[in-house]
Amino acid sequence: MTNKKSIGGILLEIVSILCMVIILIPVVWMIAMSFKTEGQQISNTWQYFTPPYTLQNYVTIFQTSKVLTWMMNSLFVALIVTALVITISTMAAFALAKIRFRYSKFMYFFFLLGLMVPTEATIVPLFVTANRLGLIDTYLGLILPALAGSMNIIIMRAFFMGIPNDLIESATIDGANELHIFLQVILPLGRTVIVTIAIFTFIGNWNSYLWPYLAAMSEDLFTLPLGIPTFIGQYTQDKVLPMTINTIASVPIIIFFIVFEKQIVKGISLSGIKG
Amino acid sequence: MSAKRKRIWRNDLVALVFLLPFTVLYMVFTIYPVIQGLYMSLFKWGLMGKQDFIGADNYTRFLGDKFFWGALWNTTKFVLYSTPTIILMSLGLALLANRRSPLKRLYRAAYFTPNLLSVSVISFLAIYILQPYGMGFISNLLKTLGVQEEIFFLKDPQLVWVSIVGTTAWWTCGYNMMLYISALQDIPDQLYEAAAIDGASPSKQLWSITLPLLKPTTLLILLLQLIASFKVFAQIRLITNGGPGHATRPLIQYIYQAAFEKNRLGYAAAMSYALFLILVVLSLIQLKATREGDR
Repeated sequence: MTNKKSIGGILLEIVSILCMVIILIPVVWMIAMSFKTEGQQISNTWQYFTPPYTLQNYVTIFQTSKVLTWMMNSLFVALIVTALVITISTMAAFALAKIRFRYSKFMYFFFLLGLMVPTEATIVPLFVTANRLGLIDTYLGLILPALAGSMNIIIMRAFFMGIPNDLIESATIDGANELHIFLQVILPLGRTVIVTIAIFTFIGNWNSYLWPYLAAMSEDLFTLPLGIPTFIGQYTQDKVLPMTINTIASVPIIIFFIVFEKQIVKGISLSGIKG
Repeated sequence: MSAKRKRIWRNDLVALVFLLPFTVLYMVFTIYPVIQGLYMSLFKWGLMGKQDFIGADNYTRFLGDKFFWGALWNTTKFVLYSTPTIILMSLGLALLANRRSPLKRLYRAAYFTPNLLSVSVISFLAIYILQPYGMGFISNLLKTLGVQEEIFFLKDPQLVWVSIVGTTAWWTCGYNMMLYISALQDIPDQLYEAAAIDGASPSKQLWSITLPLLKPTTLLILLLQLIASFKVFAQIRLITNGGPGHATRPLIQYIYQAAFEKNRLGYAAAMSYALFLILVVLSLIQLKATREGDR
């Protein structure tokens, strides 16, 4: 079957390539435009992609916009959220999966309940709550609510349950307490799921929009998704600068994907329940 | 006996320590707002706080608010248009990217790429691609190819949905494609080999082996997609801001505007429960479906 390259096979190959081109054209166009001179007349589509090129737009963006601040904010918030999510979720999931205590079932169902609470439907009271706590327009206000979803715990618990109890018992006999077991047995063996959740938490928070849109008021606190629209709002005519800032916002995450491609691909299939 | 009791207490205490950090955040930022929202929905409530107790007035009022129904209908339209589009496109891309091909990995990465971009980036890309008068990419391409007609993607009340759904599909298909690919890889090769020996053509194999075995994955994607689509807000807010007129304004945007532009937080909280109800029903179905799928 393999050596018989049928016409159908070749056709499908062409369709695949066409799909790839169509899907990537907007991204390629965005990057190409970021190297064009401001105000250049484009008479046919090829000229979007052909020289002359310039780096001037990048200079302008870095000089006139707060893009670096926004990028650092995005990076800071996404990294802190990821680190904290991993810490508190692994701890809680470990307790649910491997410590035998009263109310264990109750806590599990209590967290299961949280899967049904969409932030989108509680933004108004969440805003009021955060406001009362003095969290609006602060870094903490961007970070704390992002830690409160229970999905990660449910996924991790299921995964930790699969870690054999024998390993834990033999560690206990050797005199290890729960903290040792958590750090030396659970975390190393749960690596796969932890890395996966870390990657998705990072991407999700790097791109998150709705809550930061409500909680960040001052431009110095904006993340990239908030900063980009404010910046582009000033440039309705020429696309060159908006496309440059879009490119600047996209390149880090694309590089991130290239580096972690294997884990991301594996992670998606692993976490089919993730919404 | 007392040693045993001591151990139980000790385990409770240790579990508490491990659970505490998450539980506190979960109660404050996930559970408490649900209760707070119910409470707020019974009041006339401004940004400065509670004003008057009005009982169920907020609820009866939004049930008679044509803008609420308009926004809910827009959200529903988005769900109805986008769900089948996204499922079919993801399935198509998955089948293409799962074939035996030297470029397999490249296809997957390429089809997945838009998924990585931030919602702000994809929204502005859509705006610039769809601009009329030779300024946008599509308009320019049509001019280059000699088509003179102008298409107003974001002004026409029908085309604007095509634009929004098209952009969303382009942006999110890659994720569902990956789910489909992992399901495709779980189908044993022997099934295809046996079918080939029986003389089944590749298209026959697709219809009688692949598609039936993908059914659970399709159900999963369908439910995930329904839930995600009912939450639609950011890309519509950025691409059309709900326009032209209110033709595309989704429910979340109306809730947002009621709360933070019209200063009617109680009213907005009440409306949120309509969305909440829809999402709870969908997630219950999803939970049940995935549990049955696990068995």
